[in-house]
Amino acid sequence: MTKLKYVGSSNLRNVDGIEKVTGQTRYVGDMTVPHMFVAKVLRSPVPHALLTELDATPALEIPGVRAVVTAADFVDQGNYGWPIKDAYILAHRKVRFVGEPIAVVAADNAAAAQAGVDAIVVRYDTLPVVSDPLRALEADASLIPEVSPTGRGNLCNTHLVRNGDPDPLLAAAPALFEGTYDLPHQEHAYLETEGALAIPEPDGGVTVYVNVQSPHINRNNAAMVLGLPVESVRIIQPPVGGAFGGKDDVLYQTTAQVAKLALLTGRPVRLVLSRTESMAASYKRQAMRIHLKLGAESDGTLRAARADLIVDSGAFASTTPLSSWRATMHAAGGYRYDAVQVDMRTVYTNNGYSGAFRGFGNTQATAAIELAIDELAANLGRDPLDFRLQNCLRRGDLTMTGAPLGSTIGLADCLEWVRNRSEWTSKRATYDAQPADAERRYGIGVACYFHGIGLGGEGVDFATATLRVEADHSLTLTSGLTDFGQGSRTIFTLVAAEMLGVTMERIRVLRPDTYTAPDSGPTVASRASVVGGNAVRVATSKIAAMLDMSAADLLGCEPEQLVRDGEQYVGPDEEPATFEEVVDHARELGFQLSAQGRWQVPEIEWDFERGTGVPYFGYVFGAQVAEVEVSRRTGRTRVVKMWAAHDGGRILHPTGALGQMYGGIAQGLGYALMENFRFENGIPQALDFDRYRIPRANDMPEIEGTYIETHLPEGPYGAKNLAEPVMIGAAPAIGNAFAHATGVRIRGFPLPRVAQRK
Amino acid sequence: MRLVFVVNDAAVEIEAVAEDMTLVDLLRDLLGLTGTKRGCESRTCGACSVLVDGRLTRACRTTAQDVESRHVTTIEGLRGPDGDLSDLQNAMLDHGAVQCGYCTPAMVVAAEALLRRNPSPTRAEIRSAINGILCRCTGYQQIVDAIEATSRGRRAARSSGETASTAHSGSSQ
Ligand code: FES
Ligand code: FES
Repeated sequence: MTKLKYVGSSNLRNVDGIEKVTGQTRYVGDMTVPHMFVAKVLRSPVPHALLTELDATPALEIPGVRAVVTAADFVDQGNYGWPIKDAYILAHRKVRFVGEPIAVVAADNAAAAQAGVDAIVVRYDTLPVVSDPLRALEADASLIPEVSPTGRGNLCNTHLVRNGDPDPLLAAAPALFEGTYDLPHQEHAYLETEGALAIPEPDGGVTVYVNVQSPHINRNNAAMVLGLPVESVRIIQPPVGGAFGGKDDVLYQTTAQVAKLALLTGRPVRLVLSRTESMAASYKRQAMRIHLKLGAESDGTLRAARADLIVDSGAFASTTPLSSWRATMHAAGGYRYDAVQVDMRTVYTNNGYSGAFRGFGNTQATAAIELAIDELAANLGRDPLDFRLQNCLRRGDLTMTGAPLGSTIGLADCLEWVRNRSEWTSKRATYDAQPADAERRYGIGVACYFHGIGLGGEGVDFATATLRVEADHSLTLTSGLTDFGQGSRTIFTLVAAEMLGVTMERIRVLRPDTYTAPDSGPTVASRASVVGGNAVRVATSKIAAMLDMSAADLLGCEPEQLVRDGEQYVGPDEEPATFEEVVDHARELGFQLSAQGRWQVPEIEWDFERGTGVPYFGYVFGAQVAEVEVSRRTGRTRVVKMWAAHDGGRILHPTGALGQMYGGIAQGLGYALMENFRFENGIPQALDFDRYRIPRANDMPEIEGTYIETHLPEGPYGAKNLAEPVMIGAAPAIGNAFAHATGVRIRGFPLPRVAQRK
Repeated sequence: MRLVFVVNDAAVEIEAVAEDMTLVDLLRDLLGLTGTKRGCESRTCGACSVLVDGRLTRACRTTAQDVESRHVTTIEGLRGPDGDLSDLQNAMLDHGAVQCGYCTPAMVVAAEALLRRNPSPTRAEIRSAINGILCRCTGYQQIVDAIEATSRGRRAARSSGETASTAHSGSSQ
């Protein structure tokens, strides 16, 4: 095998780094165009009410106000949503959460727009607030959606796993553990808030610059509610200041709102949300209540599991039917069982609304099972890491759903790595022996995870890419999967450069634009490396084949005889040909040098009714260890150090991959220690960074991370995905370390502030 | 008010500006220096960090009045001697310290302020120096790595008598 130049090299820089590090990058909030109006939004102050009166016309009396839109301005009142069409671009007939947009005003300046918002006449006839998901399921609970998608009140959807019958095994198990876990909402807190700039086009269409994750879905949606053909709506994604799953539905609303205002006024309109608006109006990680029952033999062999999940979807379904499916598929963790059953119910409430967030449901599922497994191991008097090694998935095992594992399984290797690097055994012993009344107590804890690759049964999982050679011999690459800071532009560039034997500098990745980039479905579930990278691989292989033919013709040999020296093509006899000569000759031979590549993940099959089948074609794995210090006086937990190992297949861009790991761990640490997006009777309790704290540099420990490299045959150069799953081990590892330090077993996050005696 | 101050080594004169206009709005909306970001209204995110007379300052809690006759340095003014990337900016790229990039200008400004004050910071001191700036992407570790490497590089250059490609305030106007 020839030596690879870019794949796996630690000398790679992100392709768009220079503009970012010099402050030149223009995010949507940095863009202004002449004669631009600015927009402000009227939002609901109450969690649940009928809009008995809504008169927006007084806004138009305010000097400087140019237009105002409400639900009435959209086709079908702006009804949208996928997979369940239960949401509105602007509230229609009722409001269902605090922060739901009701009307948007465009004006000459922000002050006039705000005055316009304040002038709108609106009357709320309050309805009973549904805040507790269990209460929401009761027959007399106030109905939140207009139509129940299940015909059973606030029940939004269900999923299940049926892998044997765990009940007799649980009844007979010598060691039984049962616990209920409450995993809270979490706010994405991307540093750049949501924003969109719409520019009306002379042909009656509209162009929108918007920091959305999935431009094509956004375009289709906007065209539908605006009553325009899809080609009349052009979505361009400028650089995005972080997303983590959070920049879709909320921006579908924003996009349609500003597009309509631009069409009405004939002028550009920009709307950038404030931090407080962003925190109120954007969707969250779903809160989940997870009940687990685990049974094991006295020697520690896990036998059976039963899990029951209640998922709080909030006011709209958004992608919760999908992420709740992922939670269901992972609820018993990456272990071997004889029988597992899972039942999951998703419920509407007035607690904001929930959707995609890094980990996509598995963050919560893994948190619960990993806290539970740790407690079961402790009850059996076992070392928690040994216990995991005894039961974790290995080659030839079936997953908790009874499905095959795929070909690359690095879970035990990850556990071994964190055990060795953290000096687990000696630290466990030292901390076991520390005095119970010490002011600072220390603990060390572990968690591990498995995570299905791609969308699985969540949808058709494909991506498309195009590659063309330009007249100046540079290359232009497009992909429908987008980059919002996780580095996929760099990954795509390096895959194409490696395959073509050219420098990365020769290749330019266009910003996603629905006029030029092919549709690739949603950029979620860490699909970019594997699915997006493969689409790039397919497109590139077509160009490479044309160039090989050209070079062979030029050098008078067979394509198989060619070797490469840098960018040059070398044949057996003639002088080497430059890349430019080969390209020019290819054109003379009539090649277009433009190709499209599409890649779809291998077929999987899941029977949603019966809860059986094959949910994913492969998995990634990982393990993390956390060491914590808990102060008796303040009750504060500080994470002293973390170790993390992830089986991400072949690592294409090691520096970037480590950055994903560290960033993911920071979000997991925040979830464990400080982030808790709480609703009090439907009212969000923290809408700024003072009250919703996310980790700062001093909150973060030093992290020692590694990638256990396996080779996924389906992945580009053997790569698997990693951006999402690297976050999911951190919170439970910290929770388990806290238990080791204090003797207090927790049943949810964030950790309590008051440490107790062991 | 009439405002006269220096931005990135160039004198700036603005005829009429509200006294209480925040520096972040002034830089972004009046001067087009959009490298300084806004991330919150509660003065807690640090994305708007700039240098005022060399001191790290949040531009959203500073007004036009506050910067009268002062020197303001923004990310647009922090470049290497020949207009290239500074050693710090190169280190940020080499260490993977830049993901979405939204916090990056503030991180560069804060790191530069630190290294001028303290050429040999410990990792704990580096963390404290950037503690006021939120980053949701990186977990901070590679940012700390980049700043540490820069400080090492500058020390080595200084002891061997070379001029490091240290960033200096330069005009960007
Ligand atoms: S904008 Fe957040 S601190 Fe200034
Ligand atoms: S790189 Fe995204 S916020 Fe720091």
